[in-house]
Amino acid sequence: MATRLQFENSCEIGAFSKLTNAYCLTAIGGSENFYSAFEAELADVIPVVKTSIGGTRLVGFLSVGNKNGLLLPHTTTDQELQHLRNSLPDQVVVQRIEEKLSALGNCIACNDHVALAHTDLDKETEELLADVLGVEVFRQTVAGNVLSGSYCALSNRGGLVHPHTSIEDLDELSTLLQVPLVAGTVNRGSEAIAAGMVVNDWTAFCGSDTTATELSVIDNVFMLRGDTRPGDGFDGMRKSLLDSYK
Amino acid sequence: MPRRPRRHQRLKSWPITFSPFGRALARMGSVSKPKRHSESIENHTPSSSNGFVKHPLDEKPEGSESSDGEFDGVVQADFAFFDPKPNDFHGVKTLLQTYLDVEEWDLSGFVDLILEQTTVGTVVKVEDDEDEGIFALATALNLSRYREQKCIIQLKDLFLAKASQEKGVADQLRVLLGEQAHNVGLLVSQRVVNLPPQLLPPLYDSLFNEVSWATEDEPTEELRNSFRFKHYVMLSKIYKHKNPEQKRKRSDDSEEAIVYVKPEDEIFHKLSSWSFCFPLRTQQPAPHEMKNYRSMGLIMAVEADKIPTFRQELGSLINES
Repeated sequence: MATRLQFENSCEIGAFSKLTNAYCLTAIGGSENFYSAFEAELADVIPVVKTSIGGTRLVGFLSVGNKNGLLLPHTTTDQELQHLRNSLPDQVVVQRIEEKLSALGNCIACNDHVALAHTDLDKETEELLADVLGVEVFRQTVAGNVLSGSYCALSNRGGLVHPHTSIEDLDELSTLLQVPLVAGTVNRGSEAIAAGMVVNDWTAFCGSDTTATELSVIDNVFMLRGDTRPGDGFDGMRKSLLDSYK
Repeated sequence: MPRRPRRHQRLKSWPITFSPFGRALARMGSVSKPKRHSESIENHTPSSSNGFVKHPLDEKPEGSESSDGEFDGVVQADFAFFDPKPNDFHGVKTLLQTYLDVEEWDLSGFVDLILEQTTVGTVVKVEDDEDEGIFALATALNLSRYREQKCIIQLKDLFLAKASQEKGVADQLRVLLGEQAHNVGLLVSQRVVNLPPQLLPPLYDSLFNEVSWATEDEPTEELRNSFRFKHYVMLSKIYKHKNPEQKRKRSDDSEEAIVYVKPEDEIFHKLSSWSFCFPLRTQQPAPHEMKNYRSMGLIMAVEADKIPTFRQELGSLINES
């Protein structure tokens, strides 16, 4: 079931948080309500870590990660890097990368298996994505926008993309990503999907302006209907249910 | 942040519509024709959201534009005044983001309230702008009519909390927000910082005219009465000089004691029945000229009788600047 919340009167919670299957990052500042909302849902299962990146609160826009690793921009300070390495589980590889497109969260959308990347991403970064995050990288635009990270929210079960994505693009992306995709909005008609929500395999958080319709679309496409638990074996079935061509 | 107005040619004709604001301009024979002066900021053209347009007047079309490829600092823009529409939600919310500083409150509910009140309230947009960016907003909300709304309750509590330091004023504020609330309007006026000041007199004229028309045009007696405001309460931002005593030593008043972010606030402050300041929690890094000032919130109440004086003084203030 998706939860609605806000960060200091802003509904762009995807800017201030990062959610994966193995950890959750939140920004510092604002009231404790933001952090507590995440804690309430996730505390028993995965660590919720308060951090800044490069001294800013935009942890969602600047970083990209999944259960295997976390990539940070070159603006990340040494203290922040150390703090994250200490706080996250050992199997999560935390790495700072040199990439001129430093808002990694805006440029790359990923789940535990595939990633959609900005078309101008460095070759090196693409290789690091494949190595550290263990994903197959596809350079793709979403509804004509190069910032694939901003306009697409992805989990292992489904994805929500920019509302103006055409049917052909939806089919193509769905085949590439091997998950069901839906074109929709968040935060009462906002097209910047990833800015307005964060999602993992069993829960999602959306900005408080999100309407009930948008919330039900999110619940449907990400299969959050409440009868699922973390790691309930879908990953195991995945290989037998979906073909992938190498 | 709303997009900057793009350069484009001025409208050929002067559309006049059936909105109350349009009526006002039709009545005002001496409506200022948009002049092309060296700053090239065009005046408003009125239009309404229901799309009725008549073309009784013909204007000489302005054909010239700044040379392509060179930005010489002059931008042409036609601003239009509209009634609030549900579509304006995101733009209005952006303008009101910092209205109550960093307090967490039902901002979305407040914006919805403003947008539902189409009889009184004006938003300023640029003609033919697909982005529909909102550049300014002015409205007046009756505090008693909306007293059940969560956002208004939170707002009242916040105002009273800020006033608790100022003994005399707190009681007057409490009365205005409580027993006399049916006569009190919350005046909300927010805009982008670089909005041309020439738009202010028409903006406030349209607001106060709409208020007086609402007292006649609203369908029910209760609604008509709700717009017979006796007082207006408003919240604004000002910059106060950090060391006011120093000023007396210097004979040159190059540094004012108070700098008003919105020019009309100076007039409101002068005409107010009472007012008080409180420090704001966010202190933004100030530009060099403002390093001696700190930003404060200002809450004041103005009697509705003083409004005609205000309109007059605003007109002369804008004309001389």
